[in-house]
Amino acid sequence: MAKTQLIFPEARIPYGTWGCSYFPAWQTSPLAEVNIGQFAGESMAKILSLRNTPINQLDYLIIGSTVPWHWKFWNATVVASCMGKRVPGFQMEQACATGLQAVILAAAQVQSGSSNTVGVLTFDRTSDSPVGVFPERRSYRRTEVISDVWDNFGFDPATGNAMITTAGVVARKYGITKGEVDELAAFRYDQYFTGKQSGFLEKVAVPLEILNVQGKSIGMIDEDTGVKKFSLSALRSMRELDTCVTSGTQTHAADGMATLLVSSKSAAKQISRKPEINISFVAKAEVRVSLSCMPEAPAMAVKKILSKTGISMKDFVVVKDHNPFAVNDAVFSKVLGYDWKKMNNNGCPLVFGHPQGPTLTRVIIEGLEEAVDLGGGYVLVFGCAAGDVGIASIFLVN
Amino acid sequence: MVKSMRQSTLETIGLGKVIDVFRNGKLPVNTKELVEKVFGPEDNRGAMVISGSNGIVGAGKVMQFASRLLPFNIPIIALDLPGSSDGISRQYAGLIRAFGKNGANGIMKNVIRISYDGKSIPEAVHRYNPKLLLEAIPEILDLKKNHYRLFKETFPGIHIWSVTSGFPSSQLGVSIAHPAFPHEINKLFEIVEDQPSVYTQLLWSLGLIPVTVKDNWSFVLDVFFCGLMLASLRYHNKSNMPFWKIDKYIRQIVGPNPFRAHDAIGAKGANFLTWSCLHHLNKRYGELFKPTTDLVERKDSGQNWYPPDHFRPIVNWRLNEEEKKELQAIIFGALFQMTSIMLKEKRSDLPSMNAIGELCAQFTKGLLAVIRNTGGKDVIKTIKTFQKLYPESLNTKWYPGEFKNMKAPEWQQLYVNAEHDGSAGIITISRESYNSDVDAELNKAIDWLKKSKIDRVILSGDFHLSTQMVGADTSEFFPAITNKEDGVKIATSWSMTARRLYNEFEISVGFVNGKRCMGGMLELMMHCHYLIATEETIFAMPEVTLPVVPGMEGCHWALRKVKSSDRKHLIKMLLEGNQVPAKDSKGWLVDYAGTLDSSLKIAWKIMQNGYSVLPLRKVNEKPIGKIEINPVENFSTSDESISATRRAISDCIKESTNVKLSEAIFVQANHSAEFMISKLCRKGRVGSEYDKIMQ
Repeated sequence: MAKTQLIFPEARIPYGTWGCSYFPAWQTSPLAEVNIGQFAGESMAKILSLRNTPINQLDYLIIGSTVPWHWKFWNATVVASCMGKRVPGFQMEQACATGLQAVILAAAQVQSGSSNTVGVLTFDRTSDSPVGVFPERRSYRRTEVISDVWDNFGFDPATGNAMITTAGVVARKYGITKGEVDELAAFRYDQYFTGKQSGFLEKVAVPLEILNVQGKSIGMIDEDTGVKKFSLSALRSMRELDTCVTSGTQTHAADGMATLLVSSKSAAKQISRKPEINISFVAKAEVRVSLSCMPEAPAMAVKKILSKTGISMKDFVVVKDHNPFAVNDAVFSKVLGYDWKKMNNNGCPLVFGHPQGPTLTRVIIEGLEEAVDLGGGYVLVFGCAAGDVGIASIFLVN
Repeated sequence: MVKSMRQSTLETIGLGKVIDVFRNGKLPVNTKELVEKVFGPEDNRGAMVISGSNGIVGAGKVMQFASRLLPFNIPIIALDLPGSSDGISRQYAGLIRAFGKNGANGIMKNVIRISYDGKSIPEAVHRYNPKLLLEAIPEILDLKKNHYRLFKETFPGIHIWSVTSGFPSSQLGVSIAHPAFPHEINKLFEIVEDQPSVYTQLLWSLGLIPVTVKDNWSFVLDVFFCGLMLASLRYHNKSNMPFWKIDKYIRQIVGPNPFRAHDAIGAKGANFLTWSCLHHLNKRYGELFKPTTDLVERKDSGQNWYPPDHFRPIVNWRLNEEEKKELQAIIFGALFQMTSIMLKEKRSDLPSMNAIGELCAQFTKGLLAVIRNTGGKDVIKTIKTFQKLYPESLNTKWYPGEFKNMKAPEWQQLYVNAEHDGSAGIITISRESYNSDVDAELNKAIDWLKKSKIDRVILSGDFHLSTQMVGADTSEFFPAITNKEDGVKIATSWSMTARRLYNEFEISVGFVNGKRCMGGMLELMMHCHYLIATEETIFAMPEVTLPVVPGMEGCHWALRKVKSSDRKHLIKMLLEGNQVPAKDSKGWLVDYAGTLDSSLKIAWKIMQNGYSVLPLRKVNEKPIGKIEINPVENFSTSDESISATRRAISDCIKESTNVKLSEAIFVQANHSAEFMISKLCRKGRVGSEYDKIMQ
């Protein structure tokens, strides 16, 4: 293993000051009816309360969200007000890379000395996404209407292709078979339900009770609703929508939020639930691959980060990714020569769902918790994003 | 020689003992005489000036004094700066609600509104010959002092009261009459003066509640309320819990909603006042009172504590038992520590200090009652737990010794006092609604009189802190909403206390002189051998409208005392919940109703001469036969819930009157408790309050 150099030597993730909501599938929970920015702010205060972390510790807030939400113009400031602490901040987005990119930006904010403790709060509501009406002079109607979630899934303006098409393109490019993808997906479901049964999920996800305008409870968000345990035979029987893609081997839209803190070394010691645990930032890499090859991009990002750092795959105690298509993991395994059974313990977005903004934040939180359980080491987190982008990052837990 | 369990609060304002009110057959002072002393004779009446009259305090007090002084032709000069917003007109709607349009217009005619520049007094004011100034101008010491100087120079001999929210009288150089929100309604004033004055006694005589306090920084109410707000903010800082949810828990465990109250009063002004009070207390006493950053920020911004409507809360918070204990430690720990300081300083007599928390800070139970019920050791333990959670509070000196002598009658009899002259006793209740504390203290007062071999007793209000008898605290029934046994326990034990008045004294007289006597309090009073009231006092059994079934023997006790032809009046009262003036209930509910003086005299005469004064209506201890009631036929209503309650009350009447007196107590308690756990009760006022506060 090469000698570790940190990209943000002054920044740390205080252990245990994190959490997320469960990710109910779109339209299946009360989250379909709320202002998700407000929900995220209020939930962050509650999660930090459960972690014994007063929100007064925060001096900055970076929010990440990809689906427009009401009062988005006021971005981090209004969410901070809903949290109960008036701090400055901003909103960022990079499609499904948002959840990781926001954490990296928070580390940069701390490293720059501008802030001491930065809250990262990512959220999205794919249910009932807003519909935008845009003046479009090159359109024959001169006005175009876009339903933000589904129209974007279905059409990359740079290529004209849908997301699902990219999975088919890459599966064909790498000669992936449906049999292998089905087997991989079945394994991922097992991993999720094993993690759930072991109680691992409860370390990460927090049950939240939702109120209506009268202050009456309209239900609990206490499960990743919509997740069904598919057997291998059930997966095999599913109809292919594109090469190697069935409803069981791709993720589903969901709603939710996730949060963690990034702070200076000294602040981390104060607010960490286990100050003896040190979590630092080792590296980050991004790539953009060929047209409509999005599921290949994460593997290329990992290749790039490994070559930058000199770290090899065998050095990681935890490997987790954002995998909207099972094809992603099959290709990664082929490119990196890494056994897909060794990664994504306890769950991954293919199974628990895809609320875009918070997805990779939850992946990071789960990865860090798992690494702590395993006694520390390097954690690799990576994923794909719209525009054939791959992103990867390495954390060190010791 | 008169003996008493503890000093009556009436004595603290120089008005003697309650027993003397009965012995003399009249109140200790006369309003007309006091008015003459303060404002001069009828042909040369002076006026009262309220400066800062458009402010929230000033405008409320203009309404309160204008309505009370109108019968004596004393005008209220409402003085304020020309540009001040019109606070008085905003009170007009409330005035109409209270007095009707004609009454309100009459009162407003008595308000003379004059603008002034703050530097000189307009000539017009001179014409009204001001005798009393109630100053309600901004809390700036120099401004206030200049204001007093101006009035004293212009009107030598004028009496000045400041409503200040914090400055001691020694700094202001004038007396203080510190009022409580809502100012147009709340009758209580914390009075700072060397000796009880005619001005203070005039307030009492006008039906207000002056309470003497010592001259310290800030007032008892402010220490309680601002202290509660501060403790709530500290809990917010520790837990991140939003203010609205902290309010819900505070309501459960203490009573008020401190954050909502600030918003309701007007966050801009209220935040400033709370900050100002704590800021000064912090300077005087240390960090126990240090305002939090949130309070400082909201003092500057005037921002509300509750989120705006478009951000009505989405995520709920619930505390487990452990977390609730921590919240209680922070809230009560801070309040207990603060109270130890006020006790050390002897800021007020204990019943009054306790009452200030209830009457002004909306505490469900007065804080001293909570302290007493908690017990000294646990109070100190709670403070220490709080100090561990908030170590800065240790920088403020506190006095654990103040909690060590809680067996003294001053602690034990916060609500109920007793006096006797060797032959007749007086028990006074200084709380408008009955609760478990009153019940326990009433038993102790009875024990004390019995120990002194007193066989004749008058039970009455205290002529001071309690101005009416409104029933029982609905919050006392919360445990009974979900558990019938709790309902039976409350109804039975309270009824047994009431029966002691009938069984253990040769003669007991229930004396009612306030505005009204209703529900549980009426049930208590009717257990006395005689019930005497001032003629305008209103009686009612409003349980049917809540709905609940009366639990303290209201469904049979009075029926056992009346002729069968008079039963219909009592049954109507129970099934309709209507109000009956005392003068219309002679013979079937009250034994005597007259003017205050004549009622006092009759009550005392009975103490002296026994049954010869008025015929005794005996309680029939046998079953009185089946009473026929057709609640649906006789009392038509389209409201099914009221009809169903009437049926339940009718059943209770029929069954409790058709058994022996000794059994009736259990029959009634059972009916009451059974109804308490019903869906109907849950949907009504008691049930809704339970759901709103406790769920």
